[in-house]
Amino acid sequence: MSVPATRRNLLLTIVLLSVGLVVVSLAALMVGGVHLPLRQVWVGLWGAGPAGQAEVIVREIRLPRVLLAMLVGAALASSGTALQALLRNPLADPYVLGISSGAALGAIVALWVGGRVANASPLAAFAGALVTMVWVFALGRRAGRLSSYTLLLAGVVTASFLSAVIIFVLSMLSTRDVRGTAFWLMGDLSVVTDVQLHLLLPVIALGIGGLYFFAKDLNVLLLGEQESAHLGVNVTRVETLVYILASLLTGVAVSVSGAIGYLGLLVPHLGRMVVGSDHRMLIPTAALGGAIMLVVSDLLARTLVAPGELPVGAVTAVAGAPVFIYLLRRTTG
Amino acid sequence: MRRIPNERSGLKKRHTIALLLAGVVCMPSATSLGRLVTDQSGRRVDIPASPQRVVSLAPNITEIIYALGLGDRLVGDTDYCDYPPEAKLKPHVGSIVNPSLESIAALKPDLVFGTADANRRETADQLERLGIPLYGLAAHTFDDAMQSIEDVGDVLGQGAKARSIVEGLRKRAQAVEQRIQGQPRPRVLFVVWYRPLITAGSHTFLSDVIRRAGGIPLNEGLRGEWPRLSLEEVLRREPDVILFPRTESFSPALDEFTRLPGWRELRAVKEHHMYFVPETIMRPCPRLVDALEQLAGILHPVSGSPSEARK
Repeated sequence: MSVPATRRNLLLTIVLLSVGLVVVSLAALMVGGVHLPLRQVWVGLWGAGPAGQAEVIVREIRLPRVLLAMLVGAALASSGTALQALLRNPLADPYVLGISSGAALGAIVALWVGGRVANASPLAAFAGALVTMVWVFALGRRAGRLSSYTLLLAGVVTASFLSAVIIFVLSMLSTRDVRGTAFWLMGDLSVVTDVQLHLLLPVIALGIGGLYFFAKDLNVLLLGEQESAHLGVNVTRVETLVYILASLLTGVAVSVSGAIGYLGLLVPHLGRMVVGSDHRMLIPTAALGGAIMLVVSDLLARTLVAPGELPVGAVTAVAGAPVFIYLLRRTTG
Repeated sequence: MRRIPNERSGLKKRHTIALLLAGVVCMPSATSLGRLVTDQSGRRVDIPASPQRVVSLAPNITEIIYALGLGDRLVGDTDYCDYPPEAKLKPHVGSIVNPSLESIAALKPDLVFGTADANRRETADQLERLGIPLYGLAAHTFDDAMQSIEDVGDVLGQGAKARSIVEGLRKRAQAVEQRIQGQPRPRVLFVVWYRPLITAGSHTFLSDVIRRAGGIPLNEGLRGEWPRLSLEEVLRREPDVILFPRTESFSPALDEFTRLPGWRELRAVKEHHMYFVPETIMRPCPRLVDALEQLAGILHPVSGSPSEARK
């Protein structure tokens, strides 16, 4: 099944998914340790005047988390979509190229060296992601041009190497630090500064917009590198830019939220089932779908064991793996 | 500590196996009468009558051994054993979670002390296989922490001294309790980690110390030792005071919380009722009482004088 990428279909998809996103976001703003009626959420969002506890909970705690979940979810899902096309591998996800491991290592090293500044870890994580990105890219080039096959292998090897280094560093930390770090590694949307939110929005919007710009080329790329070249696509340029955009999206997402698994793998597949594999339809669908999924997952992470919290990455993994297996059985069976 | 009569029969067999397994590295030097005891963590363990070569696998144990004046019997400790300063000079056997068995064995200890909370069970089992007994401590309350000190004293043949130390510590703790009696009890959020927020569970010696220092730990309904707590719940429970342990790896600039969404709305943050407490509040050792006294000074300042620990 494939939905033709007409302007009408695209608009319809975007509108429908946006409505869905607004609905789950409102739900996420209402539900939590205290259940707030819609009216109070509304006042919390737009109301001026002295803020009561309910307004503070909406504005200061739930809203930043919901916005962060939207942005991170959209970034991971569109990055996963692009990487699955770039690597021509349905198992590719934003982490397959080792970028999340690089970010995690950056954050942990910052902690190890001395985590005195709260904002040091996102910066260090992003630095780790960038270094990994350049490194994998350098490894993935063969005879002057990017090879998706080599890139995949380079990414997988780098990821496992970095994971080993992470375990090494973790073994040097004290028990308490390991616990705190492990929770962060499993994905956490609970701490975000205003500055981070303000930076994330344009960066992620530009990244997804950039990927959308290459949507047609990604369609052609799926046919194979040689075929694409015959069809007039500058394969190296497209692959390089898509790689950079997808990696940046992942790096930015991981540096503020830890490694949230399965989303970037699952959402593109769900999207393909609904709108087919034309990337002009698929990328916006995946971005909005990823946002919806992560808002819902974080809602569950906040509420399932209240007054405690679950790592949101655990929720996406526990929910994601069975869904993925179900999809697998359905499509192959 | 419950004592169980000697059971020598199993001991010999175990030594033979240990010898086969470990070669000649680590034959325990205990030749005097051993005894089979149940340690504080509930394990049964064969310990020598008078251990002379002791390895500590946690900073609190190292402190207890030094407090008993038995530092010379300590032949090894962990990378994290930083008090007293002499402890840093002892041969280290690695981290707390993952100490090196070889390093421990090479020190030829006749007894190793570990803790049920910080060390792993595997370490105890592996040491047992090497024929090295491990005496495990487990402190879930302030009283347990005091019992740990007495246990270590008993095991090392300094029971009387341990009891006199504990008596002194208890007197100080009681003095604190008497001083703060009848005063309003502030609600205390103890931040073990803030990204994400982790606090101390209600059944921990840490929470017990907060209660004894005249505070109410904000952790009702949280299970486990180091549970996560949602910020939303913190806002609902509205702490009067926020505490941070002062450690090397985790000492955020407190000003940052005045800018973090959610945190900046807490009254305790706005009014800057945020304090560092000595890390020993997380160590069930004699200095736990120092932390208790300092914390009581923060929560209930003596005659209104501002606390020194304030930052």
